[in-house]
Amino acid sequence: MNNNWLIKKKEGLYCIPGDFYIDPIYPVNSALITHSHTDHARPGNKKILGTSDTINIMELRYGNNYCQYSQKIECGKLLKIRGVNIKFIPAGHILGSSQIYLEYKGEIVVVSGDYKRRKDITCDSFEVSKCHTFITEATFGLPIFSHPNDIHETSKLIKSISENSDYCHLIGVYALGKCQRFITLLRKLGFDDVIYLHGALMKISNYYIDRKIDLGELRNISELKTSDYSNKLVLCPPSSLSDRWSQRFRKVIKGFVSGWMGIKQRIKQKNIQLPIVISDHADWNEILTTIEEISPEKVLVTHGREEGLLSYLKQKKVTCNALNLIGFEDEDD
Amino acid sequence: MIKFSKLLDDLLLNSSKKKKIKILKDYFNSLETNEKELALSILSKNFSTKLIKANDIKIMIKRKISEDLFSYSYDYVGDLAETFSLLWPKSKEKKTISFFCFMKSIEKYNNKESLINFLEKTFDNISSNEIYAIIKILTGGLRVGVSEGILKECLVEQGVRNKFEIEEYWHAFSPFFKNFFCWLNGEALPNDINEKELFHSFMLSDTFDENLITKLNIKDYVCEFKWDGIRAQIVVSNFGKIYSRNGEDITNSFPELNITSNKVSVIDGELVVKKNGKILSFNDLQKRIGRKKVNSRILDEYPVHFLAYDILFMHDSDCRNLNLSSRKKKLESLLKILNVSNISFSPLINFNSWNDLKNLRNKSLNNHIEGIMLKKKNSLYVKGRPKGCWYKWKRNPFFIDFIIMYAQRGHGKRSSFYSDFTFGCWTDNSFKNLVPVGKAYSGFTNEELKDLDRWVRSNTLERFGPVRSVKSSLVVEIAFDNINFSTRHKSGVALRFPRFSRIRWDKPPNEVCVLNDIKKLIN
Repeated sequence: MNNNWLIKKKEGLYCIPGDFYIDPIYPVNSALITHSHTDHARPGNKKILGTSDTINIMELRYGNNYCQYSQKIECGKLLKIRGVNIKFIPAGHILGSSQIYLEYKGEIVVVSGDYKRRKDITCDSFEVSKCHTFITEATFGLPIFSHPNDIHETSKLIKSISENSDYCHLIGVYALGKCQRFITLLRKLGFDDVIYLHGALMKISNYYIDRKIDLGELRNISELKTSDYSNKLVLCPPSSLSDRWSQRFRKVIKGFVSGWMGIKQRIKQKNIQLPIVISDHADWNEILTTIEEISPEKVLVTHGREEGLLSYLKQKKVTCNALNLIGFEDEDD
Repeated sequence: MIKFSKLLDDLLLNSSKKKKIKILKDYFNSLETNEKELALSILSKNFSTKLIKANDIKIMIKRKISEDLFSYSYDYVGDLAETFSLLWPKSKEKKTISFFCFMKSIEKYNNKESLINFLEKTFDNISSNEIYAIIKILTGGLRVGVSEGILKECLVEQGVRNKFEIEEYWHAFSPFFKNFFCWLNGEALPNDINEKELFHSFMLSDTFDENLITKLNIKDYVCEFKWDGIRAQIVVSNFGKIYSRNGEDITNSFPELNITSNKVSVIDGELVVKKNGKILSFNDLQKRIGRKKVNSRILDEYPVHFLAYDILFMHDSDCRNLNLSSRKKKLESLLKILNVSNISFSPLINFNSWNDLKNLRNKSLNNHIEGIMLKKKNSLYVKGRPKGCWYKWKRNPFFIDFIIMYAQRGHGKRSSFYSDFTFGCWTDNSFKNLVPVGKAYSGFTNEELKDLDRWVRSNTLERFGPVRSVKSSLVVEIAFDNINFSTRHKSGVALRFPRFSRIRWDKPPNEVCVLNDIKKLIN
């Protein structure tokens, strides 16, 4: 980095003049949190700063010990910490997710967190913000990833339900964000039936409902008897698709909603009959478009498939580097 | 190509054999006859174009995308056809190409450049799934879990031919399956096929049950050893062929047994490895199975031998309607005429009473004999498993107590249950260190499986992905058919077909034997 005020430490990305970390992987004194997925928002920090949805969801997930002090910040509002100007900007990833804008002595850095460019009615859309250095994620940073239209992907499930009415459809979705976005897509396509949720998905979905996001009628799967599973739609966390819990579903079609489902070899590994390719991350072209729209002087690549993206950017004569932050997981892995 | 690429997707998404057969049936039903022949040739891995290799495919894509991006992508996906189809620039026009037209077009090209040119033009207009299907076809090896067995089963209900007929005539039609579907629907065989040269379904045996001792007349039967090898059929003809139990052509794996002659003879027997006059164990035979080419080192190290025990054709004449005793005589005389050192007559064993047989069976503790066979003297050679003709009487298995060391999650119905167990025994009398001896995943009931799963979960020491190491405290009695020295296993021994016999929930682990005691079992 030509700026020497934002550095990498073992806890994560650290801002020296502001004395805070961004999405640290170990507990620290002071942390800015981009969004509430567990690999970015970890419990045990002393002070945290984030959007109100990020902080509410952290509290919901981790209970009282999620931190000692929390401060909520509105998107777009400027805040000054020890000479560093800070702004949270929507990232379009999940409810409350944001990029973090930092300005110190006239130099601007934007940390993308995780982001996507597709429309998602459960959260505010990604905003392009000019900067000198853009730190981007690269979860889908290879040209093999080109996410198809999400409405078309959602309609695959609706078609399968109408064609296999004696089966139960058990669909793996990430508990925070993907689950609720997928439900809104189903509702948009006119799917009005009750959707049954694995217990682990109830809490967050209820939070989305409290935030006035219409998810239609949802019920906990524990309300259903084993004999009543046929012709029902059940959503569960991805890990539950193959654990003992899922053995109760005898006549079942298993699906998985994930950006990885565009790769046949992945589908085979997961033993899935209904792959649904919907992601909350930017695909290859969207990452490139985003970098082009921001046109920063420098691009830093944090997590995902950074080698491919760096090789491409270097070929295009964009100044870039790997940041090699550890601790961030691939979506749904 | 849309139907074919959908077929590949459907096969990928459905791992159960039953569903695969249904998908294949629906697919074949949707095709015209001339398309069916092509599809069958591709699905049975008989189709290949020698013009294009994997490397040519890589060169094509590297003209569209940088070497780096290609190799990072290929590393990630792990499958060339899929990487290629995902990286090829997406077409704006949604054209499609018919399976039949495509296959006919590629036949026309006889040089690589013009074929590649044609492919590039085609790829620019079609969907990535179709590109995927085409690359899979061109490079062979579909890897969608369709075996010859599944194809044959799916064809049984497509016409009027039964499983045996399809197995027997398969090789008459492969690799291109010209007129196969006409024959399947009842038309006569094409004239150029010599039926005798084909694979002939085997005669199989029933398992012997001790209750039969009072029911069978011992004088009606002859006795042979049951060799621990693989069943095979040698067809002596102009070409010479060797077939496995289910009609697979295994000639390439065992070239030294291929005999040619202008008169057709077909013999049935067991394939074993025999070196310096000694028959070696099944472990050694495994080094010869499934090879497409055999090099001279392997031929020297693991020479195969055929123990012949029956004859189906001798010098163009059908022997299957002769009784066993006459067939044995024919077989002996044929072997004399052939006069090859690596095919010999599987000897008959003398006996006078059931007691003799019981002793024989239990004493056949040799590492290449599984037990004995009883065959009715007046039985004809009938394909399938005719009742009361041939009996296999395996010797009793060994039973030894071992300690569970690792457990792995199972597949299919058992996924999420810890159902595959590695067991071991003590290295020495200090009862401190265990060494793994084998793996077993059967022999327990569903109820016992649930108990075992619960035990594994509450006695886990470490987790390595799907595998857990567990406390050295659970003793199980393992049954196995044979034991041999092995250099492949850390313990130095290999068990044949180990399975659970009993779970000894109450037995203390230090009462389990040590490795040396187990080695003493080998002869």
